[in-house]
Amino acid sequence: MNSISKKEPIFRRKKFRSEAKKDMISGYLYIAPFFIIFTLIGLYPALFSIYLAFQKWNGLSPMKFNGLANFQLVLSDPLFWKSVYNTIIMGIMGTAPQLIVGLILAYLLNMTFLKFKGYFRVTIFMPYLTSMVAVALIFSVLFSNHESSLANYVLTHFLGMDPIAWAASEWGTKIAISIMVFWRWVGYNTIIYLAGIQSIPNDLYEAATVDGANKFQQLLFITIPMMKPFIILTVFTSTVGSMQLFSEPTVFLGADAFTRDEAMTIVMYLYRDAFKLQSFGTASATAIILLVIITIFAVINIRLTQGFGRKKRGVKE
Amino acid sequence: MKSMKKVTAFGLSSLLALSLAACSGENTEKSSGTNDDGGKKEEITLDFWTFGATGYEELAKEYEKENPNIKIKVKSSETADHHDALFTSLSAGSGAPDIAMLEIDQFDRFKVAQDRFENLYDLGAKDVKDQYLDWKWESGENADGDFLFGLPTDIGPKALYYRTDLFEQAGLPTDPAEVAALINSPKAFEEAGLKIKEKTGMPFVDSIEMAYRAYLDAAKTAYLTPKNELNLGENSEVKKAYDYAVHLNELGIVGKYEMWSPEWANAVNKGEFAAELGAGWLKGWMEGNAPDAVGKWNVATLPTEFAANWGGSYIAVPSETKHAQEAYDFIEWLVSPENQLKSFQSHGLFPSAESVYEKEEFKSNKDEFFGGQATAPVFAEAAQDIAGIGYKGEKYFPIHNEILNALKNVQNEGADPEKEWKAAVKRTEELMKR
Repeated sequence: MNSISKKEPIFRRKKFRSEAKKDMISGYLYIAPFFIIFTLIGLYPALFSIYLAFQKWNGLSPMKFNGLANFQLVLSDPLFWKSVYNTIIMGIMGTAPQLIVGLILAYLLNMTFLKFKGYFRVTIFMPYLTSMVAVALIFSVLFSNHESSLANYVLTHFLGMDPIAWAASEWGTKIAISIMVFWRWVGYNTIIYLAGIQSIPNDLYEAATVDGANKFQQLLFITIPMMKPFIILTVFTSTVGSMQLFSEPTVFLGADAFTRDEAMTIVMYLYRDAFKLQSFGTASATAIILLVIITIFAVINIRLTQGFGRKKRGVKE
Repeated sequence: MKSMKKVTAFGLSSLLALSLAACSGENTEKSSGTNDDGGKKEEITLDFWTFGATGYEELAKEYEKENPNIKIKVKSSETADHHDALFTSLSAGSGAPDIAMLEIDQFDRFKVAQDRFENLYDLGAKDVKDQYLDWKWESGENADGDFLFGLPTDIGPKALYYRTDLFEQAGLPTDPAEVAALINSPKAFEEAGLKIKEKTGMPFVDSIEMAYRAYLDAAKTAYLTPKNELNLGENSEVKKAYDYAVHLNELGIVGKYEMWSPEWANAVNKGEFAAELGAGWLKGWMEGNAPDAVGKWNVATLPTEFAANWGGSYIAVPSETKHAQEAYDFIEWLVSPENQLKSFQSHGLFPSAESVYEKEEFKSNKDEFFGGQATAPVFAEAAQDIAGIGYKGEKYFPIHNEILNALKNVQNEGADPEKEWKAAVKRTEELMKR
């Protein structure tokens, strides 16, 4: 716009520029609320936590520069590595099945012969709308340590197994929390996939039908390759989300959340450092380490999903 | 040119953001104090943060009537929320109330920030010192004893709560005085437990935590020395408490309940264990939550080795206040012996002012729940038995939880107590580096 205005006579240019300026100012004003809120709530704390990672601070006394000691402390703490392990295991158990089941559910929900589509779509999405705290509380009742809890009742009476201490054993807690995460998020991913499926043009399927492809082949060679961007999106958000797992285990375990290590995730470890041990420096250092871990996973993710898309396309062509 | 404009615009919007923040900061300051240095008595509003059920709202109203220029805004929240909110506002340097209640277990977390509190000694606290139990008062001071953080409110002297029906079945006395005379040492405590187990099949103590806390709460030096160094040697008081809990567990007289769990509440109600080492405030919980146990529990004093305090609070004045003297005058009035008696009668806050123990209304306060036993004198005696509260330090609870995990592993999984102890000590060393 500026380049055009240069050719205009001086007096008109002036007027035009002030008009452009007005536009610009109003434009910035329109987007200002986001940036103001983002600076206050997002950017400032993020930068401050980087600063904090190199300080020793208990929240009230003056800060003391600590160099890299915080990172060294965290990285040499066996509990930190246990929390990384827990996070990855629960991430895999909670989200990987979600993506597969979500895809299948979305495919089924899109079937032409399915009755009450609206009803099924709403019910599958419902867990996502339920309050997290309520979900975790109900799950902590279903999966309690007690021998008569619902989960243990099913185990002992129908499967003939021994009862499990769901909130205090290595695998019991992980399985219970993974089931909860799965239940809560599967509907969300299903809806994204459903939107993706509906964006695939119908003529592709018609052509495939004419060529004699069955439903399963259509799913494998049309639906999945065409859904690549949606799959990448869900894999990406699920991975990042599972790395930040916090509220589910915290509410599920209640009073024991920060004293036992079976289900301690990285973010819980961070929270414990800051708010139970009054060590904001190591907590911030953990946050930065978490950032690095998430970045690594994101890169791996993108690499993997890219490769997977290309291969499928190759088969199709 | 174009990018320059963008930069200035962005700078402008962030400037706006910052000024907005500054603006809100100013606002809160203005609203918390309405000091205009007027000629006569100006209107003063004091923010007062409390937690739990204290009944301080009613007392504050009474104070407002006597002092028409003072308005007190009482805000009561849940214990953890209260302390977290206070911690955050003190840390941020704005938003703290004029007066705040502090629970004794959380106190050390705040004591590191002496500069954020008013020294109550400067405001006249020396004059009322004699009214309160020495050990309670001293815990409200800093290490040197020249700075007073808070005035004492209630205390939590521990006593032996016991089921009379189970004691009777086991052939033990049921009268509080006789029980106290019989169970007068840790050894006698253990023997009574064995009798209960033999005759009734019920555990004596409810949980391994209570067995452990028997000695722990009474320790002069618990996990940390006042210099904030770990104190977990073989001869430490903590190890003694640990070994005693392990020993009681080996005798089979420790239950597997966890305090406050539904199973535990049920067991209190039905009498599935015989004794609890509880503080005075447990009484209030029992009255409200164990309807089937009316008349079945009694209270006796514990052996002096176990005499300890569990819980209780202080009231402090954060230095953000603009009305430190007025705030102090109010709390001095609020925790005066007469008002402590009122708080005791209405909300069961056990008084820390010794003169209350002599009052007739206090001594004759009979508890229907305890079959008409007047329990207050028992707790008063327990309160006077307490030698002192050990230094806790800001990491008391994380360390406590590590040791407790070791004990739970011993109890639930039959782990080797020595191995568990060493592992727990190692974990606490890790904690202390933070």
